[in-house]
Amino acid sequence: MTAAGKAIAVVQPSRGVLAGGVLLLCALALAPIVALLGFAALGEGPAALALGPDGREQVLNTVALVAGVGVFGAALGTATGWLTACCHFPGRRWLRIAQLLPLATPSYLLAATLVDLGSRWQLRVHGLGWTVLVLTLSTYSYVFLLATESFSASGQRQLEACRSLGVGPWGSFARVALPMALPAVGAGLALSGMEVVNELGAVELLGLPTLSSGILQRWQGEGNPEAAVGLALMALLIVSLLVGAERQLRGRSRRWVQNQGGDAPQRWPLAGWRRLAAQTLTLLPPLATLGLPLLWATLSWDQLQGESASELLALTGRSLLLALAAAVLTVATGLVLAIARRWLPSPLLQRLSFSAGMGYAIPGTVLALALMLIGGPLALSPLLLLLWGYGDRFLAVAKGGLDAALERLPPSVDEAATSLGCSWPQVLLRVHLPLLREPLLVAGLLVFVDTVKELPLTFALRPFDFDTLSVRVFQYASDERVGAALLPALLILMLGLVASLALIPSLESDRRHGG
Amino acid sequence: MPEIWVAVQAIARTRRTLVPLGLIGSSLAATALAAAALAQQGSGKAPPAEIGVYSGRHYNTDKELYRQFTARTGIKVNLLEGKDDALIERLRSEGKASPADVLVLVDAARLEKASAQGAFQSARSAALLRDVPVNLRDSKGRWYALTRRVRFVVVNPKQVNPASIRTYADLARPGLKGKLCLRDRKSVYNQSLVADQLLQRGEAATRQWIKGVVSNVTQPFFTSDTPLARAVATGECGVGVVNTYYVARMLSGEGGAQDQALARNLKVVFPNPAHVNISGAGVTRHSRNPKAAIRLIEFLASPSGGRGYAEANHEYPLKGYGDNAILKRFGPFKADAVTVEGLGAKNRAAVALMEAGGWK
Repeated sequence: MTAAGKAIAVVQPSRGVLAGGVLLLCALALAPIVALLGFAALGEGPAALALGPDGREQVLNTVALVAGVGVFGAALGTATGWLTACCHFPGRRWLRIAQLLPLATPSYLLAATLVDLGSRWQLRVHGLGWTVLVLTLSTYSYVFLLATESFSASGQRQLEACRSLGVGPWGSFARVALPMALPAVGAGLALSGMEVVNELGAVELLGLPTLSSGILQRWQGEGNPEAAVGLALMALLIVSLLVGAERQLRGRSRRWVQNQGGDAPQRWPLAGWRRLAAQTLTLLPPLATLGLPLLWATLSWDQLQGESASELLALTGRSLLLALAAAVLTVATGLVLAIARRWLPSPLLQRLSFSAGMGYAIPGTVLALALMLIGGPLALSPLLLLLWGYGDRFLAVAKGGLDAALERLPPSVDEAATSLGCSWPQVLLRVHLPLLREPLLVAGLLVFVDTVKELPLTFALRPFDFDTLSVRVFQYASDERVGAALLPALLILMLGLVASLALIPSLESDRRHGG
Repeated sequence: MPEIWVAVQAIARTRRTLVPLGLIGSSLAATALAAAALAQQGSGKAPPAEIGVYSGRHYNTDKELYRQFTARTGIKVNLLEGKDDALIERLRSEGKASPADVLVLVDAARLEKASAQGAFQSARSAALLRDVPVNLRDSKGRWYALTRRVRFVVVNPKQVNPASIRTYADLARPGLKGKLCLRDRKSVYNQSLVADQLLQRGEAATRQWIKGVVSNVTQPFFTSDTPLARAVATGECGVGVVNTYYVARMLSGEGGAQDQALARNLKVVFPNPAHVNISGAGVTRHSRNPKAAIRLIEFLASPSGGRGYAEANHEYPLKGYGDNAILKRFGPFKADAVTVEGLGAKNRAAVALMEAGGWK
């Protein structure tokens, strides 16, 4: 807090307003968790935490999954991020953009296509290994996005210094770039970890018993929602430990970047087998995540069952509308919390705003239950509840990137602005927002894509006659009717692709400087 | 692909305009949604000529039937399709404010669970008593079956002699070791099958049966029926247990030519007696329009409406074996005497036995 604290000392006025806003937002974000705690306490109490006969296996599988996806996802995301930001090889620019493609593919769709393709070719796609593969492919882009932004935006000077001192590519990666990118990698990892813990569709399809499938089993199989909530709270605990560890790591590696842009970035040229390896590594994951569903669609084309164009248009419209609204709400909330984290030194507020992001780790079905517990008695409109749910769930996605971006902004920026007579809203509007434009865009688009893919909340909370694309895909897929799921699934892919393409400008921003 | 590259560059150049445009668009979307939400909030009470249906079935043809109902009666149907258990939970949390008048659920156990939670009210009508056989409806009139499905056995004749399987008990024979494939314990259809065995054969025999069946399964348990049926067809498995409509769907060509060809490799066996499950519906406890709700259920259970409901998914109607050519090819079956109500009541005991017996 020390250096940031100094900045706050300068940014004085109406902090109460900001603090009030933060308290309100955190209350909204934490209300479902409180509702869940109350609900669990009404049930069997601590007995709800008993694991049941499969509990040990579920916990072990969850831990193995988080660890596996964490290791592979961090390695893949960091490697692709570094290679496409700081190395030079033919096709680099395109391959850099291609890393966004996996964002467009929902993990349940990837798993379903793999299972379906496998069963045609007599291959059982099943178990831990496959699940790690699917979830690594569908989550490493978070690490990539945050890491690559850090690699290309920060520390060009330091890398140039490395070169002039004769430190090679590996040395400059390991000793300079990686430590500087750690906050971003950590934020990406925390996101992917939470996503893995709450993942349900893919895990069910691949037959891996995890905590989240145990939760559903307790709730629906055994008709014991209180016990399900108990398990969910336990999953939450695992995730808070993970995220806490990530915070510690990030705290230790805090560094600021003094220069933004300016000179043309220098990249390490790759040749020979290194070039080939770099191309393969950056090509395979996007090829798999986009290619498999497309292959599946081509092979299943004869089962295509048309839905009327107006129906498809309505489904797409609703998905689009919900996703845009969720993106605005969530990014605005994330921005307020991230700014407050920088300016308000109160440890209580810091902790509150940190835990506000935990909604991402609650399995969607359980979060939906919590919101129903709150919204039912108040007779809140399902749409309001749904937006509340999206905001709660994806806050971490928006906040992670914004926090990491703000951490790279030295406090001296705030100090300079305030010493020139800016009030804090002016600092926000005239200094931070312009500097944060790209992280804000990235955050908004991530939330957008996530909302388009989102399933359990939409499924449980939507109002009458308000199906979206993902709802339709899931309904058909869970009835094992591939043909009918085909068109809506392709539309989700397309929306995701369009949104991912919109991320290109922020990825390509280095070109402005002459790259 | 130079055109694409030009486009991308154009996007990159226009990004300064894109961002504000995106922001404006998103804000508009947010405002529109909030307005829609508030409007909904305002018009909370439904006018009498409307009913809300929460349905665990998801077939486009269902919607066609609701349209027919509206055309016939003038009663508008508002539809929310979802997962059965989530719908039950939503109904419970909404309480008196719930806009639902009819709850449609798939599987006996879920209907019974919803009844136990007080989701339904008792509703009786002469038409329902006439159209729904007594073992396929709740004794207190809280829910009525709309369609039937049978959990039958598919056999690959190159691996296993179909004549060797006459009852579910035969699946536990040591001769099927390594050849039997099953879906996992989470499948509510399997839970109901075990509940069925519990009712017919008692706990000790069922425990023994589960032990035999589980020891015959050497491959990982499947998570859905269609891949299981495919695995039997290709010979990876010799025998499997699936719902009738999954195989019927494959045979109809809905799943593509490859699935159709695969399904032709399958011999189907109705164990005698066969375990019959249902989808069904009831009037919700806090329905604002129970009269209209019961009319919809009557329509869906009637031979004309019910046939549409069943045929869409290759299910069996409440009586007879259907007009569908594929179902005719399957031939008739002898349903066991178990009541659907009983299946629901035994669900928890069945799941506990499966857990104890190592049914994954």
